[in-house]
Amino acid sequence: MRSTRRIDRYGPLLAAGLGAAIIAYIAFFAPPEPQAPRWDGAGSTEPQHGGTFVFHHESVIRTFDPAIAYDELSSMGIRLLFDGLLDYDEETRLVPSLVEAMPTQSEDGKTFTFRLRRGVEFHCGGELTADDVLFTMERMLGPDTSSPGYVFYANITGVDEYRAGESAHIRGIRVVDDRTIEFALDEPDQTFLNAMAMPFAYPLPRSHYENPTVDVRTTACGTGPFTLDPDDWEHGVQAVFERNQNYWNAPLPYVDRMIYQENLTRDVATMRFRNGDLDAVHRFSPADYIFLRNAPAWQPYIDEHPKANLWGVGMNTQMAPFDNVHVRRAVAFVVDREAWKRQRSNRLMPTGQPLPRGFMGYREDLEGAHYTDLDRAREEMALAGHPVHRDGDRWVAEGLEDTEIEFWVGEGDTGRQYGEMAQADLAKIGLRISIKQVSFPVYLEESGKPGRVPLLLTGWNMDFPDPANFLDVLFNTSSISEQNSNNRTFYSNPIVDDLLDRARIEQDITARERMYVEAQELIVADAPWAFMWSDLTMEAWQPYVRGYHPSPVYSMDYRDLWLDLPKRRMQARHGTDLQPRHRLSGLLPFGGNL
Amino acid sequence: MLEFALKRAAWASFVMLAVITIVFMLVSQIGDPCAARLGANARPEQIAACHEQYGFDQPLTAQYGAYLGLSSCVRKSSPNYDGGEGHCGILQGDLGESMRMEQDVVEVILTRLPRSMLLGAMAMGFEVLLGVFIGIIAATRRNTWFDTGVMATAFVGISAPTFLSGLLFLYFFAFRLGWFPVGGYGNTPLEHIYSAILPAFTLAIIGAATYARIMRSEMVETLRADYVRTAKAKGLGPVAVIMKHGARNALLPIVTLMGLQLAILVSGAIITESIFAWPGVGRLAIESIHNLDAPIIMGVVIMVSFTVQFGNFLADVAVGALDPRVRVDQE
Amino acid sequence: MGSRIGAFFFSDPRALRRFRKNRGATAGLALVVLVTLTAVVGPLLAPHSPEEQNLEELLHDNGLPIAPGENPAHPLGADTLGRDELSRLLHGGAVSMQVALFATALAVFIGLSIGIISGYFGGAVDMFAMRGVDILLSLPFLLIVIAIQRVVDRPELWTLFLLLGLLSWTTLARVTRAKTMQVRELEYVQAARALGMSRRRILLRHVLPNVMGPAIVIGTTLVAQMIIVESAMSFLGFGVQPPNASWGSMLREGQQYLSHAPRLVLYPGLLIMATVFGFNLLGEGLRDALDPKD
Repeated sequence: MRSTRRIDRYGPLLAAGLGAAIIAYIAFFAPPEPQAPRWDGAGSTEPQHGGTFVFHHESVIRTFDPAIAYDELSSMGIRLLFDGLLDYDEETRLVPSLVEAMPTQSEDGKTFTFRLRRGVEFHCGGELTADDVLFTMERMLGPDTSSPGYVFYANITGVDEYRAGESAHIRGIRVVDDRTIEFALDEPDQTFLNAMAMPFAYPLPRSHYENPTVDVRTTACGTGPFTLDPDDWEHGVQAVFERNQNYWNAPLPYVDRMIYQENLTRDVATMRFRNGDLDAVHRFSPADYIFLRNAPAWQPYIDEHPKANLWGVGMNTQMAPFDNVHVRRAVAFVVDREAWKRQRSNRLMPTGQPLPRGFMGYREDLEGAHYTDLDRAREEMALAGHPVHRDGDRWVAEGLEDTEIEFWVGEGDTGRQYGEMAQADLAKIGLRISIKQVSFPVYLEESGKPGRVPLLLTGWNMDFPDPANFLDVLFNTSSISEQNSNNRTFYSNPIVDDLLDRARIEQDITARERMYVEAQELIVADAPWAFMWSDLTMEAWQPYVRGYHPSPVYSMDYRDLWLDLPKRRMQARHGTDLQPRHRLSGLLPFGGNL
Repeated sequence: MLEFALKRAAWASFVMLAVITIVFMLVSQIGDPCAARLGANARPEQIAACHEQYGFDQPLTAQYGAYLGLSSCVRKSSPNYDGGEGHCGILQGDLGESMRMEQDVVEVILTRLPRSMLLGAMAMGFEVLLGVFIGIIAATRRNTWFDTGVMATAFVGISAPTFLSGLLFLYFFAFRLGWFPVGGYGNTPLEHIYSAILPAFTLAIIGAATYARIMRSEMVETLRADYVRTAKAKGLGPVAVIMKHGARNALLPIVTLMGLQLAILVSGAIITESIFAWPGVGRLAIESIHNLDAPIIMGVVIMVSFTVQFGNFLADVAVGALDPRVRVDQE
Repeated sequence: MGSRIGAFFFSDPRALRRFRKNRGATAGLALVVLVTLTAVVGPLLAPHSPEEQNLEELLHDNGLPIAPGENPAHPLGADTLGRDELSRLLHGGAVSMQVALFATALAVFIGLSIGIISGYFGGAVDMFAMRGVDILLSLPFLLIVIAIQRVVDRPELWTLFLLLGLLSWTTLARVTRAKTMQVRELEYVQAARALGMSRRRILLRHVLPNVMGPAIVIGTTLVAQMIIVESAMSFLGFGVQPPNASWGSMLREGQQYLSHAPRLVLYPGLLIMATVFGFNLLGEGLRDALDPKD
């Protein structure tokens, strides 16, 4: 019994039209995306006290226990709650923090003496003493904590016995008096002070962390500029840090309160930031990156700097055809760094050597550094005995016509896209590769075993700013083992090993730097990796966030900034933190701006 | 009656055991959580130490027994670990410890659960309100342009994938128009509700269409029934007729459907929660899979299955108590 | 629809007539045929290879892909790796449809077999099968599928449809079982049994035709659900793996470019929606035709 009225017959069309009209209305007449910061600074020139700073991370905070944390997310909070004995300045030099002066080093380079600063109070009461430092080290290195950090301190005398439970204390650490503590090493090691500046060694009060009634996983007691009340940490949502009124390094900190929002996806974070509800952002989708990088109004409030990391195509030097140095060089010269950079929206900085820019031993004009040169790549293939010739629309390398090489990449869209780009590049010298994308643990496990993975996309992030952390870990023969090798290309050159081993203990900086330059030259010539790029990190903050300088060592280290808040902004922040714009004017065409 | 309930409970426990076993085997194959946790710079010693702490160095059977709480604990980080008799498994109410968050799995899930339940409850509220309303109107104006138009829209609603509608809602209504917070959960109860509106609506689109269809067909049938015609003939107003007869009859399927949807309340909405950065169980689950946080994945699956089983059990026992025939059928 | 095919699907000629009169169902059928055709013929029509990259010409300096109309050889522009968007959409459709159709076929086959067997024979078989259904139903579907997909070392297309098929037969099995139990008690089936008709013949001649109706309806909506599930998994990063690309994985890639190139989300998104819409309409039409309530 269908209705025959005209309206009923054409009704569905009408309804569809109406729906389309509504959608079109929203799409075209909704207010445009904000192009400029919503709030400006008030214009103060001197640092101001007060205000709330809101920042975020896309994942979930794991812990604020410095002995356990080993990720960017936790370290962002730990840097607010704790101080190290040593810290880095803006030039990546080690400077004293909780110690009065840089530690003294004995003649043989094996003993370091630290003298603690006077009058440093812990959040939960009590003054910092040498015993707390001893406790911190023994707790972190103890078998019950299973801190991932202990590899950096294995050189302290007696650590192995202590970990095995054969001794009650670490022999090499000695409390001289209340404020003096001494560390003895098995071997001289110039990276030891870097290790002592890592968050693993941030001093903790014995009274709090040894107390069995305290849940150290959710509480934090340090000496840092901010304090955390466990009730203010709503897991998976946010942690609220309050100003430490007794901070030893007055007048710092400037900000009254820091809100660390967890679990915000990058799209959501950037939208919030552009709406003025978030004070700093640091990870972007390509679209957001392109916007912020180019919007004129945002230019004074963004910073882009190379990250201390390294990426490249690793070639297993024990597996054919990469056991031939010429094939490896050919790959190093054929990968099109500029094209990769463009695909990543220019978010990577091409390089041709193992050390990131700014590291001791990095040379802008390093001899033999890799660059992209197709002709040279083909020459190297000829030298390798695989001359390349054209066959129809593709290139063929003689002797490798039927060889398909597995190229291992980590998971995720990016890994896959790198794989696809490498595939296109290597085809230019007749190398046929198939992409093998596996989960991250599988990738680590398999590529850590000899003779398994011929070709891989590989990278390294800095643990501490010292060339040893790159060259020793990635290219020293000592990093090769039957399983979990960090030297995933199984590169072994006795001359390089000797240089690296000597450089690690060399106390004279100039001599040390010369050795690292020499090692770099040898490594690029052997080309175990096609060295490709360091990532660029962009950060953006609101105009009223002042005194923030991205640290070369710690990601998003917000501890010293201050807020130059305009009055309206202060009101908006009062009490609660979400201030949707309620722009009902959005109902009007052109946002009511007609 | 008691016998029936006991049988039913025994059966539910068997299903739970099967689920736990399946999930345990599945998750034990998912990849090394320690490697995932330690990241790109992992050293061999670090990975080995982590294995030892969480008991991954033990044989799988020992891990399984310990997880159930039947054999001694293998997790060194557990307070019950004593290297010998101490148990730390499901029977002790212990689902292990998150590899990613340094917290008990039970604790983590209990923090996330209320958030997912709020979102789910609001979504269900929207669904029922919208669905019932649309369904009634469509049924009373059957075969008019309104009916066709509304039902066609409902079909489009069913067909729109949440990830598309969610993305567009977030972008237009929160970011461009600024009517709602851009994702997240907020800090006060009022803000929680405010923040939940968009994601709940995204979830509700699909459900509302289903409710509308059911409501409409039930109503259509009822309105045709003789007693309704009689009521109409007796001069009862149309609204009264709908409320008194139509709506009441349609209530049963609606309530049944709501019951079926209860599981969604606890399992969380993976996609919607991901898009709107809603810190609930769904997002927890998907992140744990990304991070290979095995204990959390198991915890979530077990929790969801348990809720489903428990819900079914209650429903069956209730129906059994009310209607003896069911009991006979089950024998 | 040719009448012979019609006769196969509709044992009752009135159902066919009802189906033909239902405008929505016809529209759904048309959409489904169109999409299926595209999936079959599309890859042949694609002007370029879906994997061929041209980072120099098809990406702007800032990494954004070219828009439609900027390069006449690429009418729909390029994707984020400088590949022809039109070709990728055509190939992606084929992948999405393949996964959905194969997974559904598998699910329908399993569901029908288990449903008929457990409904007809009852007893221990029935008990066993239904407990299996209970276990599957109490698992969170998407989560489990993703977890398994994650376990598979290198997921290929066939693992995906195997996985989806193996996990989604439960509803159909339950419905088929109930229907079979009804049919078993029908007089003429009882009679056939009494006359010594073989079990296989009874199942094929009497039971199967009776349960086909619901199976077809459920199967059709299952295709729609499979498309959504596959794209949801791809959206979360666990679905179709490269070098294959489905509409879902294209949408995921495009999501990151939403504010600059919304078309990368809208093209695959709307195609998914249209396909699902088509299957849903068709399913509803079939339901009305086969099981008339009005």
